[in-house]
Amino acid sequence: MSEFMDKLHSTFVEGDRWKYLTNGLKNTLIITFFAVILGMVLGFLIAIVRSSHDKTGKMKILNFFAKIYLTVIRGTPVMVQLLIIYYVIFASVRIDKMFVGILAFGLNSAAYVAEIVRSGIMSIDNGQFEAGASLGLNYRKTMFYIIMPQAFKNVLPALGNECIVLLKETSVAGYIALEDLTKGGDIIRSVTYEAFLPLIAVALIYLVIVMFMTYLVSRLERRLAKSDRG
Amino acid sequence: MIEVKGLKKSFGKQHILRGITTTIQKGEKVVVIGPSGSGKSTFLRCLNRLEKPTSGSIIFEGEDLTRASEKRLYEIREKMGMVFQHFHLFPHLSIMKNLTLAPVKLGLMSQEEANKSARAMLKKVGLSDKAEAFPNQLSGGQKQRIAIARALVMNPDVMLFDEPTSALDPEMVGEVLNLMKQLADEGMTMVVVTHEMGFAREVASRVIFIDEGVIAEENDPYNFFNNPQNPRLRQFLSKVL
Repeated sequence: MSEFMDKLHSTFVEGDRWKYLTNGLKNTLIITFFAVILGMVLGFLIAIVRSSHDKTGKMKILNFFAKIYLTVIRGTPVMVQLLIIYYVIFASVRIDKMFVGILAFGLNSAAYVAEIVRSGIMSIDNGQFEAGASLGLNYRKTMFYIIMPQAFKNVLPALGNECIVLLKETSVAGYIALEDLTKGGDIIRSVTYEAFLPLIAVALIYLVIVMFMTYLVSRLERRLAKSDRG
Repeated sequence: MIEVKGLKKSFGKQHILRGITTTIQKGEKVVVIGPSGSGKSTFLRCLNRLEKPTSGSIIFEGEDLTRASEKRLYEIREKMGMVFQHFHLFPHLSIMKNLTLAPVKLGLMSQEEANKSARAMLKKVGLSDKAEAFPNQLSGGQKQRIAIARALVMNPDVMLFDEPTSALDPEMVGEVLNLMKQLADEGMTMVVVTHEMGFAREVASRVIFIDEGVIAEENDPYNFFNNPQNPRLRQFLSKVL
């Protein structure tokens, strides 16, 4: 028992090593938060371009680039994308690693969000578009007031899941020497030569955040399900 | 009011409409019947340009819809109410919002004006108590009456009905037809695609029989039903009556 207490002490307390974890957690959360925003905004835009093209045949050029984007991003590992952005694209510039992280994970997430939202838009009955059109609402207004709110509700669980995946994917940020939560735990391990405690602690922290996010998503879902009563 | 000339529509190699010419006068109640796949729904959907005709022209209040710009097309649709077989209410919005969304977002009415107009329409269709309900809480007949109210809030010059009772349980057909009769009595110009022959007999000022993409016969309801000329129509009527 006292041996365990010693290990606890040397892993977290000695030399204020817990700060690696809190500081890492802070960075992980910041990256996730802004990457989610970037991913959602960009993803929704791409989804609108893609589905508008499929529905109306317009926006050919934008759709072409959107397709290339989706193919490249979804066809390569996020870690490789992160490394390319840091070591190739920003090779000759001094740049904040956090910014690189947000950019890489946000751009990556956007591709997945785009496909999720597009599937949500395509799943809405064409009659809804026609009803909008028959009332004189043009494509944009129909999309904004009628289609998107329904599509968003339908894909909310998938979007929540994407946020959770994104949070976990940021754990590869250490490859550009960014001190996120995973890297923080790993630093402790390399200092104390004790792997169990820091890594389990890291895993537990991820787990708690994921469970909390799951809870938030299910609450939001219940609120949006209001119109399904009856 | 609506002048259709040589209207043709094909989907790929399938020729659905093969040249339809007819004129719908203000105040007329035109009922369109025909076997399934005859093109009657496509004809109706061409009238407000939900389908783009392959050739021919549709002149509504002096304007050719086949040549109108996209923007103008949406403006014209404000004047043409449409009721669908499957209602197509907006499930994420309350009944009140279903009725007021279009006039408010198009800038035709303020929210208060739209609310007032919507309440009047709900009263007219007998569903005042459902203002705050959501579409999923309504029966099929109620949904269709709301769909009619939603179109009426826009103050249309003509109402297009695409098989409005075909998706309803039999006991709910009556309430919708009664409402349509009431509209007809008020002088609304109506084009109705339906299988309800009783409605056609009673309400129509003219009945059109579309078969294989052409108007095979059109007449006033009395002669249409009692003295059909076209052999296909005779055959059709013998099956449905």
